[in-house]
Amino acid sequence: MKELFAKTYVRRLLITLGVVATVELMTGPPGSNTAPTAGFRGSFAESASFFGLFKTQRWVLFLFIALVAWGIASFWINKGPMVRATVSRALVTPRHITAKRPVRWGALGALLVVAVLLPRIETSAFWQAAMVEQIAVYVLLAIGLNVVVGFAGLLDLGYVAFYAIGAYTTAWVTGALPLPPLFHHALNPFWSIPIAILLVMVAGILLGAPTLRLRGDYLAIVTLGFGEIVTIFANNLYGITNGSLGSNPIPHPSIQLGPVKYVWGLKPVPYYYLALGFIVLFLVIFSLLEHSRVGRAWTAIREDEVAAESVGINPLKYKVMAFAIGAASAGFAGVLTASQSNNIFPASFTLTFSINILVLVILGGMGSIAGVVLGAILIQTVTEYLNNGQHWGYQPSDLYIYLGALLIVMMIFRPAGLIPSKRRKREILLSEADHENAHLDEALLGDDV
Amino acid sequence: MGAFGHYVAAHFDTLKLEFWALFVGGVANGLLYGMIAVGYTLVYGVLRLINFAHSEIFMSGGFAGYFVMKALVGTSVPTGAASVGLIILGIVAGGVVGSVMAFVLERVAYRPLRKRNAPKLAYLISAIGASYFLFNMAGKEFGHLAVSTPQPYINHAVFHIFGAPVLMYYVIILIAGVVMFVALDRLVAKTRLGRGIRAVAQDVETASLMGVNIDRTIAITFIVGGALGGAAGFLFAMGTGVVYTMGFVPALKAFTAAVLGGIGNLRGAMIGGLILGVFESLCVVFVQAAYIDVVAFGILVLVLLVRPTGILGERLGRSA
Amino acid sequence: MNDVIFDVKNVTLRFGGVVSLNDVSLHQNRGEILAVIGPNGAGKTSLFNSLTGVYQPQEGTINFVGRNGKTVSIIGRKAFRVATYGVARTFQASRMFSALSTFENVKIGAESHRGIGVVGAMLHGPGTRRDEKRSDERTVELLNFVGLTEKANTIAASLSYGDRRRLEIARGLATDPQVLLLDEPAAGTNPSEKLELANLIRRVRDDMGVSILLIEHDMKLVMSLAERLYVLNFGGVIAEGTPEEIRANPVVIEAYLGSTTEDAGSK
Repeated sequence: MKELFAKTYVRRLLITLGVVATVELMTGPPGSNTAPTAGFRGSFAESASFFGLFKTQRWVLFLFIALVAWGIASFWINKGPMVRATVSRALVTPRHITAKRPVRWGALGALLVVAVLLPRIETSAFWQAAMVEQIAVYVLLAIGLNVVVGFAGLLDLGYVAFYAIGAYTTAWVTGALPLPPLFHHALNPFWSIPIAILLVMVAGILLGAPTLRLRGDYLAIVTLGFGEIVTIFANNLYGITNGSLGSNPIPHPSIQLGPVKYVWGLKPVPYYYLALGFIVLFLVIFSLLEHSRVGRAWTAIREDEVAAESVGINPLKYKVMAFAIGAASAGFAGVLTASQSNNIFPASFTLTFSINILVLVILGGMGSIAGVVLGAILIQTVTEYLNNGQHWGYQPSDLYIYLGALLIVMMIFRPAGLIPSKRRKREILLSEADHENAHLDEALLGDDV
Repeated sequence: MGAFGHYVAAHFDTLKLEFWALFVGGVANGLLYGMIAVGYTLVYGVLRLINFAHSEIFMSGGFAGYFVMKALVGTSVPTGAASVGLIILGIVAGGVVGSVMAFVLERVAYRPLRKRNAPKLAYLISAIGASYFLFNMAGKEFGHLAVSTPQPYINHAVFHIFGAPVLMYYVIILIAGVVMFVALDRLVAKTRLGRGIRAVAQDVETASLMGVNIDRTIAITFIVGGALGGAAGFLFAMGTGVVYTMGFVPALKAFTAAVLGGIGNLRGAMIGGLILGVFESLCVVFVQAAYIDVVAFGILVLVLLVRPTGILGERLGRSA
Repeated sequence: MNDVIFDVKNVTLRFGGVVSLNDVSLHQNRGEILAVIGPNGAGKTSLFNSLTGVYQPQEGTINFVGRNGKTVSIIGRKAFRVATYGVARTFQASRMFSALSTFENVKIGAESHRGIGVVGAMLHGPGTRRDEKRSDERTVELLNFVGLTEKANTIAASLSYGDRRRLEIARGLATDPQVLLLDEPAAGTNPSEKLELANLIRRVRDDMGVSILLIEHDMKLVMSLAERLYVLNFGGVIAEGTPEEIRANPVVIEAYLGSTTEDAGSK
């Protein structure tokens, strides 16, 4: 019996069955505490149509899918390398083309044009609102967190705090909080953009300076702890933040500079263009940073902090810098949300939100700007699509079941992300191949004591 | 600062009055934190990994206990032998489900990474993913409402300490906690299995050269930690009920306890739990109810910044 | 050459109950090739780590005379700060930025020891571009100097041991140091690589004017290269002198008893 278990294809079959059963549960009906087995029973026994041919129960359908998947997987693992080699050879010419500079710039330009024209193409009210609230905001947050996690390699689980600071600063500056604005002079939300970004960067420095000396997992927990503390305070300091009631109504932004006059109203499209402008700005700045001395210093610190110190790099300084710079786009995203949706509630700034952004960054590819933009757009589009309408037993509260599973799957199969940054991919491959390097930070320098 | 002194002084009288009641409650909480903390510390010892999903192990034990109690405890509350039997059954149910969940978690979320020598960050991210998957799944299958657990005992005051009543609930926790801690301490210090765990915690390569089955030892570490975490879940459920998000705050506090005592140090986890439980309980006098969690989170941040090795220092391998 | 660059006085380094360095005093003159030898566990790497700010000795002083003739105390300074004073080092187990190319590894050394302008880096202004060009040129020079020009675009992780050592030396030199600390540079190299290494080290001192402080186990290499040696045992200095003096020193011979006279390294 043990021998049977050891056979690879048997193991693979069992794993496939396990995975499929889990997917069945994930996509099945819910239960409740009075009917705890309802979800389980329904997931397997509910009637389903077998690809439109006949009616059967869900488990039959899924068993079929499992067997097919097992077959394909076995085939791929055995015959795969040949197929992959042929495909690779076929892809050589296209790759040569995509690597060329002018082609890349052309592609970027085309994307920009598409982005600008998007509101004309997609005119439904739902999607236009989604483009701003969901996609644009999340893209901003993702590229900012990418600086912290991707460039500098710091796991920040409290990133939502910067978003919150941006939003609350907007409320404060425009007089929508019990705490009166500076000099009792309420300003246009447009002015809160620079103020929020400045405050958020200061917050990044203040938070980072004491905590960024810690190593990876401890840093994650500390940032998580800080995030929770901030949330509790935001929820309870009625005198400053108006507590759980949220802010008072925040006015919409408007510009009045000489001949230039524009008022943003309730329609989402103008906010989309405002967001797009800043997204492009942040993309340019972050990209320049990535390929500068600072970006290389971040890479050095990530690769080998001790070696980086030996050439004069001050790890703390660069880490704090990453924190502050990454926070900037979150700050602007906060301004965007606050001024568009008119009021903000502390309940929206949760740890879960930080995890959501983390998923976007991981899926897209840590350290890869193009990757995280893609990841953000992809996941948020899918999320919005699923939230809008009935899709096969999916409930909005199920979202994190999928995101959580996605994180695990990504780590096992493609930790470098969808569009990996070349360096990161190499780092991961090296870590996997070179076991001894993994212990370098544990060992003291050399073996003399 | 006169106002501050005044504030403290005024509350000190309340503290003196309520001290023993708060102390007893704090010890009970502390034992629960310790039980959960043990799971963190054991896994950290052998894998150098913070098992972010341990909170869901705790939760699964809570739900297991809840369903068992719901099924077996009718409208009339049993007493005597039946009561004791049910309590033990609940603890066992919680512990078993916790161990199974922990075992599956290790197999699915961590082992594949270990086999590929994944970088440290990958484990943490996978752990976060597992945590979110599990508690949202629980929410889907068992509903999002918070419910209270039928108690298989009458929660009367069993005896008094200096005038403070010690409820049945606390007595149960005390007995269960002490038994589990002593058993675990013996396990790690005296048995071959325990030596294996300590060996892996100290030096994986040497341990495997000495013939320790690394995979099995790691699996058993998770199982043991999961058993205590799950049992703690049941005990917690009896007092506070269950809800799919119940894992987050207690587990974070338990992690604080583990770090406070010295992560990787088994006795440290137990002691850290007690210290945190009692301190938090006494702070109730000084701090508004809404902010009481800030005390624990604040201690967490402070300890990590100031003395990350904790009170008893870091290593499980050295002297437990 | 009585110009002292490193002045170490009565340094004691403890880890809990273990005394790693016991009342160690030594000095290095500018332009010297100085070696520190001793059996395994004698405290050599601990000494290096103390000289570079990685360890903080509990007692004693370490003074370093920097570029402009000013004396600074190493103890109490962080490692990266010490590097900016002009103390470069290599590591016993080569530490490189593995996923980067040889060129990038050295370039990071060339650009990192000076202060940065973040805003400039972000905006990629003309000043930044000039600096980067200079770093690139310096990197090419150094790769030429150590003989790694053909491997410039190779990923550092795939370099051989000998090449890794050269990479670390190039990276260290890129920081424009006064002194280069080499921690067992010949470990894992074959005899012809050792010869090249010795030549390279001499050229670093002769052509670049960088003083050398060397830990080595390979006696032949050390004796042919070093102008002066210190011998450490059990955390203390047991002898000091020229290679001839050390070779004949009975205390030293006894410390090494049990190893061959040719290569005392048991690695």
